[in-house]
Amino acid sequence: MKKLKSLKELSDLRKKLEKEYNNKKEIFVCCGTGCRANNSLKIAEDFEKILKENKKEIPVIRYLKKTGCHGFCEKGPLVIIMPEEIFYCKVKEKDVQEIYEKTILKNEVVKRLLYKEPKEKKEIEKYKEIPFYKNQFRIAMRNIGKLDPFSIEDSISKGAYLGLEKALKMKPEEIIEEIKKSGLRGRGGAGFLTWRKWEAARKEKSDIKYIICNGDEGDPGAFKDRSIMEGDPHSVIEGMIIASLAVGANEGYIYVRDEYPLAVETLKKAIEECRKLGILGENILGKGHTFDIKISRGGGAFVCGESSALIRSVMGKVGEPRAKYIHATEKGLYDRPTVLNNVETLADVGAIILNGGEWFASFGTEKSKGTKCFSLVGKVKNTGLIELPMGTTLRKIIYDIGGGIVKDKKFKAVQTGGPSGGCVPEALLDLPVDYEKLTEAGSMMGSGGMIVMDERTCMVDVARYFLKFLLEESCGKCTPCREGLRQLMAIYEKIVKGEGKEEDLDKIKKLSSAMKVASLCDLGRSAPNPVLSTLKYFEEEYIAHIKDKFCPAGVCSDLVIYEILETCNGCGACRRICPVSAIEGKQKELHKIIEEKCISCGSCYDVCPINVIIYKKKELRNG
Amino acid sequence: MEKIYRVETYKCIACGKCELACGFAHSKDGKAGTSRIKIKKIGIEKGMVVVCFQCVEALCVKSCPVGALVRNEETGAVDLLEEKCIKCKMCVISCPFGNIQWDENFEEIAKCDLCKGDPQCVPFCPTKALSYL
Amino acid sequence: MVEIIVDGKKIKAREGNYLLRELKINGIKIPALCDHLSVEPWGGCRLCLVKITKEEWKGWSKIVASCLYPVESGLIVSTKDKEVEKARKEVINLMLARSPQTPLIVELAKEYGIEKTDYEEYKEPTDCILCGLCTRICDQLGMSAISLVNRGIGREVAPPFNLEPPDCIGCLSCAYICPTKFIKFEENEKKRKIWGKEFEKLLCKNCGSGTVTKMEAEYFSKKQGLDPSVFELCDKCKREYYSKKFEELQR
Repeated sequence: MKKLKSLKELSDLRKKLEKEYNNKKEIFVCCGTGCRANNSLKIAEDFEKILKENKKEIPVIRYLKKTGCHGFCEKGPLVIIMPEEIFYCKVKEKDVQEIYEKTILKNEVVKRLLYKEPKEKKEIEKYKEIPFYKNQFRIAMRNIGKLDPFSIEDSISKGAYLGLEKALKMKPEEIIEEIKKSGLRGRGGAGFLTWRKWEAARKEKSDIKYIICNGDEGDPGAFKDRSIMEGDPHSVIEGMIIASLAVGANEGYIYVRDEYPLAVETLKKAIEECRKLGILGENILGKGHTFDIKISRGGGAFVCGESSALIRSVMGKVGEPRAKYIHATEKGLYDRPTVLNNVETLADVGAIILNGGEWFASFGTEKSKGTKCFSLVGKVKNTGLIELPMGTTLRKIIYDIGGGIVKDKKFKAVQTGGPSGGCVPEALLDLPVDYEKLTEAGSMMGSGGMIVMDERTCMVDVARYFLKFLLEESCGKCTPCREGLRQLMAIYEKIVKGEGKEEDLDKIKKLSSAMKVASLCDLGRSAPNPVLSTLKYFEEEYIAHIKDKFCPAGVCSDLVIYEILETCNGCGACRRICPVSAIEGKQKELHKIIEEKCISCGSCYDVCPINVIIYKKKELRNG
Repeated sequence: MEKIYRVETYKCIACGKCELACGFAHSKDGKAGTSRIKIKKIGIEKGMVVVCFQCVEALCVKSCPVGALVRNEETGAVDLLEEKCIKCKMCVISCPFGNIQWDENFEEIAKCDLCKGDPQCVPFCPTKALSYL
Repeated sequence: MVEIIVDGKKIKAREGNYLLRELKINGIKIPALCDHLSVEPWGGCRLCLVKITKEEWKGWSKIVASCLYPVESGLIVSTKDKEVEKARKEVINLMLARSPQTPLIVELAKEYGIEKTDYEEYKEPTDCILCGLCTRICDQLGMSAISLVNRGIGREVAPPFNLEPPDCIGCLSCAYICPTKFIKFEENEKKRKIWGKEFEKLLCKNCGSGTVTKMEAEYFSKKQGLDPSVFELCDKCKREYYSKKFEELQR
């Protein structure tokens, strides 16, 4: 790899790589974290072996590519055959030989591995025709899945650093103006206008300025930043370099949470290769700008995703939030002007500069422009990672892209924005998703986690789950968050045990509003969101727990007992799934639940194919 | 600094009234504090007055790790800022003349502050050994 | 100095200085348990909340912790705003659940009309309100012998691994700065014990009594640039010595 000394040398290299890399027969094996967990590395290895054994003249790498996450994690491991875009799901080791023989050698499609449209049971051959992908529009994730994240050449052949090429010819003011036109807002959750941050930091006079990329994605169920860092690290680096040009910064940090070792690997390799090519370091592409990036690894604390805590953590101090009455753009890392942007925000930047702010602003709603990545998880058929224009309705996300609820059960709510977000009920399914609308609904954008819940979800239990998470993750610095969460948790523990009192609801409301006002950082200030939103939309469920001592969803095990009706056909599914062997019965005979053993987990209820298991109120034993 | 605190030890008759006045001037909740001024009996009705000199280059000021001892420009005294004091007692052992004490009862540092410009010992001295001019 | 309005009254305050400190100088009472003039403000206890606005904010206002908010010209501060008082009362309520037997907290709660907390009292009440003053002063003096360990409700003040803190010099600053006297120590003429570590005191050459620990004298004399020879006698013996000296001079 030779150091590039000018913009021309980069575009020459790009032309060469484009010819070399694109429109070739390729096998993409998704090696995102989800597919890896499903053995995709082994599949890739097997392909490699077969290709080697058959000694093709062209180097193996051109045929096989371990890509980043394709997003459709539900159907993983995914294998895509290019350039025909044939999309195979749930590929197993034993399928490798067949794919090679049929598809690679003879251009035949292996039908049973194709995605099947659930309604019409029709196989779909091409990647882009699958509803999950058809309804998406990708900007931040534009290249994920198309390239080998460990290869800068591949990335350049797919258009990485085109935005930087353009930015290097622009003045800082012009870059900021373009971002301003785009209306880009922080994708980490708060939605602060990106150009404002940049402008504020640009105006500060300081010998050193910093750009920090926040990759401490800690929300349960969220993995968009992870996928971007793992699948297309160069989009993040490109965004950071452009930010550094706009702000006048020479040093950057990418703060990656400790649970993302693969992201650290891809980023490390990407930074190294950038340095070798002269894209990072001194005199970038001969244009006189100096900027370098270091990786800072988190220690696993959720609160370190909060900007002031993150900055302290980068400095090697305990990650605790500080009051932000003086902005980081004025005094941030080491008391120097600092711009802190989310991974996704930075991944958008290159595309905005390349295609123009107006292009980006043509997507989305009035105040929320562009596209947004979401991690769609929970009781939805197609779980995975998606990117859509802002303003797409929840209904479209859950039903068109997500394919509806698992087992076609009834939708109950969708939790957005991570533990500090809230639950949006069915009545608001037509809500266009943007920053304002979600906040109005009592939830928030957060880092784009979407947890879909069905009728078998107890909203009191959901609120309790998030409270527990926050209780464990609260840093404990300020009284309202530390003590408030403890007390909220104590009230919830009572409610799910059937010991709740009606005045507890007032107590929850009173305490929540105090926490919102008095807490030090946004973790504490938004901690009551899951509580307040469930209370707002599902108060009757709370009342059922408190007054009737019953959990309508059959989740709170102290309040329900399960029973098998006499119409049981004795299939034995429940007996086999019961984790505590509390179900007895001979095959094809009526089964019975032994009450003393039963822990009311509901597994039998969910597995019963003919719905003859019911739950009802458990009579609380006195004393 | 308009006035100075003057001690004429040869006038002292060791009556101890200044000590009482000082204790009461620094009293809390009806309890007298440690007297900042000390009279050493050196003969019949003869005493030696030992009290803070409010040194120009004061070692107590230098010794304080939190800057709780500061010169009061109005009175000329070195004042102890109670809200800043962390009670490490470095000033107590640093004063070369032993004029800063630890008040056991109140658990605080006892140091003469010229009663913020109105030294209470002065009017109680019957022989005018203490004066504030 | 700039002019700000606090609860309807105009006062003068130093621009850029922390609002709480300026309010205190002006005699405005506001509860705060984690603030101390010798350490940087922290914003942990959340009692010093005030509502602020400015004329040019056109009716928009926000609630801030005054201990950390820098004074700006034209600030309009309300320390008794309804929303502020409500939130503050709730914070005190929570503190009382944690420390139901701590006089300082009980008194404060009484001031706000709370006799008993609305919430579940701790089964093992503690006097430690986690204000962090002890660890912050220890940091500031340069020792960092103790720190706040664990997070959330498991948080506590402790020396590393709950063992004798190797960096502690026994200055007792943590114990004396503690607003609830939670940090305990033992002391006699010759020895001192805190955080499970025993310290020898620096003894007066004359009477043998000790005021500070040897480590403390050594550390601070270096830090503050003092000649350790001034520590040879205790304050009492120094007075004794000098009164004799002066007597001789007088003669």
